[in-house]
Amino acid sequence: MDSIEAKEYKPKSSTAKTRLSWLWSEYSVIIAFVIIFIASAILSPRFLDMNNQLNILMQVSIIGIIAMGMTVVMLSGGIDLSVGSVLALAGVISVLALNASGSILVGVFTALLVGSFAGFLNGLMVAKGRIASFIATLGMMAAARSIALYIADGGSVSGEVAGFTAISNSDLWIFDVPVIIFLVMTAGVYMLMHKTRFGRYVYALGSNEKAALLSAIRVDRIKIGVYTLIGSLVGIAAVIETSRLNSISSSSSGAQYELDAIAAVIIGGTRMTGGRGKIIGTLFGVLILGILNNMMNLMNVSPYLQGFVKGLIIIIAVVFQKRE
Amino acid sequence: MTEGPFMAMKNIDKSFNGVTVLRNVNLDVEKGEIHALLGENGAGKSTLMNILGGVHMPDNGSVYIDGEQVKMLNPRISQEQGISFIHQELNVVADLTVYENMFLGSELRNKIGFLKVEEMCKETHDVLATLGVDVDPKEYVRNLDTSYKQLIEIAKALLRKSRVIIMDEPTTSLTEHEVDRLFELMRNLRKTGVSIIYISHKLKEIKAVCDRFTVLRDGKVVGTGSMDAESPETITKMMVGKAVSQERFVHGDPFGPVIMEISGLSSEGLFKNINFSLRKGEILGFTGLAGDGRTELFESIFGYRRKYTGEIKINGKSEKIDHPRKALRAGIGFVPKNRKENAIIKDLSVIQNMSLSSMGNFENMGFLRDSIEKERFKHYKGLLNIKVHNPQITIDKLSGGNQQKVVIAKWLEANTEILIFDNPTQGIDVGAKQEIYQEIVSLSEMGKAVIVLSSEAPEVIKICHSINVMYHGEITARFNGEDANEEEIMQYATGSKKEVEKIG
Repeated sequence: MDSIEAKEYKPKSSTAKTRLSWLWSEYSVIIAFVIIFIASAILSPRFLDMNNQLNILMQVSIIGIIAMGMTVVMLSGGIDLSVGSVLALAGVISVLALNASGSILVGVFTALLVGSFAGFLNGLMVAKGRIASFIATLGMMAAARSIALYIADGGSVSGEVAGFTAISNSDLWIFDVPVIIFLVMTAGVYMLMHKTRFGRYVYALGSNEKAALLSAIRVDRIKIGVYTLIGSLVGIAAVIETSRLNSISSSSSGAQYELDAIAAVIIGGTRMTGGRGKIIGTLFGVLILGILNNMMNLMNVSPYLQGFVKGLIIIIAVVFQKRE
Repeated sequence: MTEGPFMAMKNIDKSFNGVTVLRNVNLDVEKGEIHALLGENGAGKSTLMNILGGVHMPDNGSVYIDGEQVKMLNPRISQEQGISFIHQELNVVADLTVYENMFLGSELRNKIGFLKVEEMCKETHDVLATLGVDVDPKEYVRNLDTSYKQLIEIAKALLRKSRVIIMDEPTTSLTEHEVDRLFELMRNLRKTGVSIIYISHKLKEIKAVCDRFTVLRDGKVVGTGSMDAESPETITKMMVGKAVSQERFVHGDPFGPVIMEISGLSSEGLFKNINFSLRKGEILGFTGLAGDGRTELFESIFGYRRKYTGEIKINGKSEKIDHPRKALRAGIGFVPKNRKENAIIKDLSVIQNMSLSSMGNFENMGFLRDSIEKERFKHYKGLLNIKVHNPQITIDKLSGGNQQKVVIAKWLEANTEILIFDNPTQGIDVGAKQEIYQEIVSLSEMGKAVIVLSSEAPEVIKICHSINVMYHGEITARFNGEDANEEEIMQYATGSKKEVEKIG
């Protein structure tokens, strides 16, 4: 819907200047992406290499899947800090289920189930318990990590079923499977947000919750749905993460994923308070973060400085978007 | 007039992005007069006042105070010239106390920088006393009624020794009683030589309190003069550019069967033992002062509030309504008051606001179809005369009247048998008001059952078949639309008369 809206909206006085500023406000993240892409291509000859490009996509796939869910949560006016911890918990439990059952299917379903359930609990706390999402998911963040550590006794658990690693380590045509999952999820969330009533309700709720309720929208159910959705996406991300190295660490896996996901959403132009933002924006936000990481590696920037650059980009992005 | 007006704006031109908003506008305000600035929404009143307030610079023309030209480069200069602007949206900080708000930005301090709290409290108390208000200066503003917030703003202006006070629709959130007090206060201010520029849509109020008026239409002055010399009709005509009927809109139409029956509805501290029934084709009015519980009553019937006892029967069937969704299923639609907070979703487009309560009508295999939405909107655009070029723009870009029409379209699309309107013409200009009245009446003629809540008695008299008056959560009187008059309604609304036995 929004993209259509954007195309048809014509400013009253169509001077070149207002047109340009309109273009910038609607598509700033894509313009920024193009600029960064071109700059990277000039700075490093290896950047444009096909393998490098595919590598970037592979590296952003996990954060990308989580960021899609985070976009939905933030559009609804909330935030989910628990994604990293829930990823570790879902990973640990799914590996145990995988090893116990010997079935890859059971392992995958367990991860989905654990993720969705944790998300569902977040949703219940936010919608029914009326706890601020920041607080509710902060609690979940601590609790989920703790349970993961307890179950795995603080260490890592590894899969013992042959073929599990194939999920993350095989290709379809030239793409790695995680990349394909990421793109499919992006398309799915895009359709959900722009082509279904659920999406419309999420935008309405994030923009004006009281008016949404007075428009006879089941606001509570939508909220629970939103957190369950991100939970299940985290479950999918957990499968990819676990399958990549056939193991998951209860202490370090998923650490700071919430920050990267939120950063991607913010760079993508979604408003912190909800109601405004685009899935496509987040896609490019994810890609911008991926390119930056990649370039810093290619140009041998100290890993200790990479966080600084990332922080800078987030702040610059927000400053440029502060146009309302 | 020997020495010229105290404040004069001469030949003001202003345009935004090539669109002319003000054209050669002159405004003279004498010392110690209450000057009404009239005009429909979009006529240029706010722009003119923002120029006086130093928010905008005029393209042409100048401002004179006491005969001297003043360049209002920024709001600070304007304030130093003794001009105070009391906005429609009140600029008080709810989490500060009364005196802290009064002295915000200009706190009294002693030599080492500590606040002189007691002195500030005393001054606050004195100023409020001259306004006839008894409020503890150390009370938190969030605990006060809206009307007090208004008074705090006015008191602030007095504290700054303002010479010109601009009031932008100050009575929107006040009860009639408070309005009277405000007028008393304005008359007192006039005596002390303060000039007031009073912006309002309510001609009756203007007639009551203003000395002179200036009418703007489409950025031009179309009339100015003494209030006594003109009748409200001619002024309305100037504002709208055409005559507006003041007659009742409804006549004794035959009603259909009873569709909703409310019996014994009570909610602790909000309303008690409410009984009434509503027929198809009927327009039932509810009026009263602020705090009479009518909004809460209908928010409960609509399921927004859940803590109530009693029975709601729709089409003879008892319904348990504890969520707006259930109310919608039972056939109740609700156009709430305070459109901005309660009704419009400002980030969604005009079309999306229209479709929000009935998404199922626009779905095909679970996916939304833009084309159906567009088609339906075109229908309502024609039906309700919604003025919008591109319905894909967000709804906050429309004028108040057009926003309200979109909200009405939303409920028409939901196609409920019963429609509740709470203050349907709040913040809407005269022309659009008439259209909304007509729309409400034609809904009843189509066989819908309509309830109209309004704090303005003339409004319910104009469009309702019968009128309920509420006071402190109870229905104190019931009138036939034709027999009702404002004075009698006020007696019941203020609690000075009660007629419970008649209701039975």
